[in-house]
Amino acid sequence: MTTDVSNLGGRQAGGALAVELTGLEGLKLPRKSWFPRSTVIRVLSPLILLVAWELIVRIGKVGEIFLPPPLSVLRVFVRLTADGTLPYAIWMSFLRTGQGFLYGSLLGIIVGLFVGWSQIIEDIVDPLVAAIYPIPKSALFPLFMLWFGLGDPSKVVTILVGVLFLVLINTVTGVKTLNPILIRAARDLGASERQIFLKVVLPGALPNIFTGLRLGAGIALILVFVTELEATNSGLGYLLWESYQLMLVQQMFACIITFGILGILSTWFIQWLEKVLCPWSTTVTRQ
Amino acid sequence: MADIVARNVRKIYNPDKRYPVLAIDEVSLEVRENEFVAIVGPSGCGKSTLLYMVAGFLDLTAGEIKVNGKPVEAPGPDRGIVFQHFALFPWKTVLRNVTYGLEEQKIPKAEREKIARKHIDMVKLTGFEHHYPSQLSGGMKQRVAIARTLAFDPEVLLMDEPFGALDAQTRGVMQEELLSIWSKRKKTVLFVTHDVREAVYLADRVVIMTARPGRIKEIVDTKFAGYKSTEEVLESAAFAQKTHQIWKSVREEVDKAGPLDG
Repeated sequence: MTTDVSNLGGRQAGGALAVELTGLEGLKLPRKSWFPRSTVIRVLSPLILLVAWELIVRIGKVGEIFLPPPLSVLRVFVRLTADGTLPYAIWMSFLRTGQGFLYGSLLGIIVGLFVGWSQIIEDIVDPLVAAIYPIPKSALFPLFMLWFGLGDPSKVVTILVGVLFLVLINTVTGVKTLNPILIRAARDLGASERQIFLKVVLPGALPNIFTGLRLGAGIALILVFVTELEATNSGLGYLLWESYQLMLVQQMFACIITFGILGILSTWFIQWLEKVLCPWSTTVTRQ
Repeated sequence: MADIVARNVRKIYNPDKRYPVLAIDEVSLEVRENEFVAIVGPSGCGKSTLLYMVAGFLDLTAGEIKVNGKPVEAPGPDRGIVFQHFALFPWKTVLRNVTYGLEEQKIPKAEREKIARKHIDMVKLTGFEHHYPSQLSGGMKQRVAIARTLAFDPEVLLMDEPFGALDAQTRGVMQEELLSIWSKRKKTVLFVTHDVREAVYLADRVVIMTARPGRIKEIVDTKFAGYKSTEEVLESAAFAQKTHQIWKSVREEVDKAGPLDG
């Protein structure tokens, strides 16, 4: 599960390929000479798409109501940013996502470490996880609104639950796949059970924990959008939905693009955190 | 004084299950202080089992093992293990891996680093203190593991096929380095290996174990006195003769163990 899952975490195929090559430094592959050309293509590709998009709309083959030209989207984007609408929406969504993500991942890490470490705790928690995990977390939102009211808490809890399971499952995997010889070695070097837990099990599980965090960040963004469709008048999801209902197509595009930017930023943030907290991890050395 | 005494040791895996496995039986062995003893035998003969029982990781089904006159009950800092697959902590740098054992023994930080650097220097890895294990070659990793174990100064060194995962050239270099370290810092060594030549070259005595259930078949004296250099030992007729004798003896057991146990 871990390997295919880590590919979902936003790593590009080109980056992964470059890593396989580092093991073969002596082989003098013609990689260097290709590099600038590859970069040029990567920059040109989206630019050409944008130009084509602008042209198609200008020629008038597609109605602006379905596909506004990129420049008009940019204008609306700038205006919404300048008048504070977009920053406020981002801030509200960030608060909900941030709280849900923080609490969900802390809980997931702590419970996951204990589940992976203790058979009894695993026997208690495992059937619960197996029963709840397959439920789409957005399907729990109405229930949480019933329990926690229409305000932010129900949104935060929905995000929390979504993040919790992904982090929990990956943390358990991290503890379980830890090489048992490392625990033996620590014991041989005189470590107590508590020290083994803190100094071997926790750092040993960190790379998998980060896999869970990357996936959790993705689900958190999905869930903040879904939960902001209902019972609120703030946030990026709300703004996007309102733009649709008022047929403000440029504004819709501006919101969608903002969601994309937030996705990229959250991935970067987690990559940075991983670099700081586990510099030895292979996913870090691959970056 | 740190000697190892094993008396009538027996180990049964899964004793309460349907298919109990008698891994080793009636093993009695004495390793004298500062002696280097190697154990060879066919795969599955229980040589690693014996080593892990001395380390305190496995319970004995019958018999007793004493280290330094005290019965073994749990792992302890008087015995240091070097594992085949290095068992370095991937999240710690070379320096931190080596200081780890000292940390657990509550040695002050400055002192720890001094000891660690001395041992890193001894295994010729100065300059790699801040590398992570994933950035090192197999031979370098095993050197770190040896430095880590020697740093906390155990009286007994238990080595479980420490060079088994290394290529032939690196293995040769590591064998020489181990001998040179051992000659400077005498320790009681119990060394498990598949490689008969390695056993004859390194050890004072070589213990040959039978196919499962592992018993001690014979113990051969392999001390070569009066040679000036490693090459001279390796090229001597005595060395070739001992290697051949032990190889033949092990081979008989491999044949007995049959293809399924290989």
